[in-house]
Amino acid sequence: MSKLSTTGLTKAFSGLVAVNDVSFAMEEGEILGIIGPNGAGKTTFIHLVSGILMPSSGRIEFKGRDVTYLPAHERSRLGIARTYQLIHPLENLKVLENVMVGAVFSRGKSLREARLSAEGICDELGLGGLDRDTAQLSILEIKKMEIARALANEPEVLFLDEVMAGLNSDETKQMIETVRRIAGERRMAVGVVEHVMGVIRELTQRVIVLEAGELIAEGPYEKVSKDPRVIEAYLGGAA
Amino acid sequence: MKIRGAYIAAAVAAAIMIAFPAFLGAYPLNVARSVMTYMALAVSWDMLLRSGQISFGIAGLFGLGSYASILAVLRGGMDPLLSIAFAALVAGLVAFALGFAILRLRAMYFSITTLALMEIFRIIMHNLHDFSGGPEGVVLPEVIFGGDASALYWLCLGGLAVTIGASWYFERSKLRLALTAIRNDETSARSNGIDIFKYLLVAFVVTSTLQGMMGAIQVQSYGFTTPDTAFDANFTLLPLAMALLGGIHSTIGPMAGAVLLGIASEWLKLKIPYGHLVVYGVIIIIVILFMPNGLFGLARKAIRKAGGAGSPGSASNGSDAEEGAR
Repeated sequence: MSKLSTTGLTKAFSGLVAVNDVSFAMEEGEILGIIGPNGAGKTTFIHLVSGILMPSSGRIEFKGRDVTYLPAHERSRLGIARTYQLIHPLENLKVLENVMVGAVFSRGKSLREARLSAEGICDELGLGGLDRDTAQLSILEIKKMEIARALANEPEVLFLDEVMAGLNSDETKQMIETVRRIAGERRMAVGVVEHVMGVIRELTQRVIVLEAGELIAEGPYEKVSKDPRVIEAYLGGAA
Repeated sequence: MKIRGAYIAAAVAAAIMIAFPAFLGAYPLNVARSVMTYMALAVSWDMLLRSGQISFGIAGLFGLGSYASILAVLRGGMDPLLSIAFAALVAGLVAFALGFAILRLRAMYFSITTLALMEIFRIIMHNLHDFSGGPEGVVLPEVIFGGDASALYWLCLGGLAVTIGASWYFERSKLRLALTAIRNDETSARSNGIDIFKYLLVAFVVTSTLQGMMGAIQVQSYGFTTPDTAFDANFTLLPLAMALLGGIHSTIGPMAGAVLLGIASEWLKLKIPYGHLVVYGVIIIIVILFMPNGLFGLARKAIRKAGGAGSPGSASNGSDAEEGAR
């Protein structure tokens, strides 16, 4: 059974169809790339499967269970976690507390247990200085903190929305290693949105391509990147 | 060490507070009761504010508690002390029911609605002549504890202690994480398992219960109330000014603000009757413009600046001091 799947998932914002009839599935231990030009509906798609937005129609299943209209906080408790393209630090909490939030509320841990588990996760990600304010963090550290917070939810499905954006090439390399390691160790299904194709090629086993809300191609990156429809979507129609 | 020092300081302060009636006369005790009442309201207002929700409904719940208590005694023959618990319960239940409607609102919409609720409660009490006494209000045959100044003081101190205890629990438990997360970023809170509505409801019901309780204590101590006294806008404005002055999002800030403004207002009331409200207005404006984090915010900043000469070690000392100040 798939970890997460959608059938005919659609989201319309008063006329604009941001996600149109998308059906896909993610399997355990898989790193799936979600690519497409700007405005293709990638982030909206993640908003839908994580419950931040409710779909107009279609169906979302988590391990065979219908979660289409389940509120976001209940989905995170079931095991669907995510990070955001635009960073969302909790600026009045310390770094460690930011991470603890996931453990306390999704996993129902006591503050003491959550502290231990958050420290472990931050250590694993190489994130130190945990009693700092989030304002003192570098962009790499904030991204790590947000991944750590998502991991503190102990998810089975994790979406990373452009975690590499804004990182330099060394940091990107480091982040690719990190994502690969955490995905492998936890046997999660990981969905990765990235604009840097090198990252997608290196990290993912399979990609789905969205354009204007529709799923236009699916398969290994090498194959998809040669698909004429995908090339047209990225480069525009041949003159 | 720092935490232990704070506990010892709190215990000493509590002991002195309890012993006040032994060496203070009736007038200072009366002032102290007024300060403690406002302090409890300021702390309770801040507790909800930690979730980002700004309530202008303090006077509404305070007045509701006042009326619930005095009417329970007068019309229901309830024991006065028990009526305080009853009034707290009524305020809590009303907040619970209202919460389902108004906690979907955010920012200004929530604030304005709470302000309107206060007015609605006042108008209801104004117009229920036979039950609530209408605009003339109601008078108890006797004040609780026979009006003994020390007993009234301790009763009020008890109400304040309950409020501070609740606020302390809010700061030490996972409620702090939940409310801060909701205040900072609701989207992030939702995707990390926080049931936003549930935690807002908890905070709204608890703070309303406390405000109702303080209203009941006040009414039992004075033995009478009218719609205009019970729902006086000052019960909303003064606690708000106190919390802002002392420093919001903490227990100690609103407490300090209440002591400063409470005592200043007693003095100003004697010097310039009614003019003290102008002073409050000016204080709110100055605080919002120049020190949005209040006196304790300024203190924290100063400590951080003094200790934080750029090295990471001293920066974390600064944040320790902040922990201690909470």
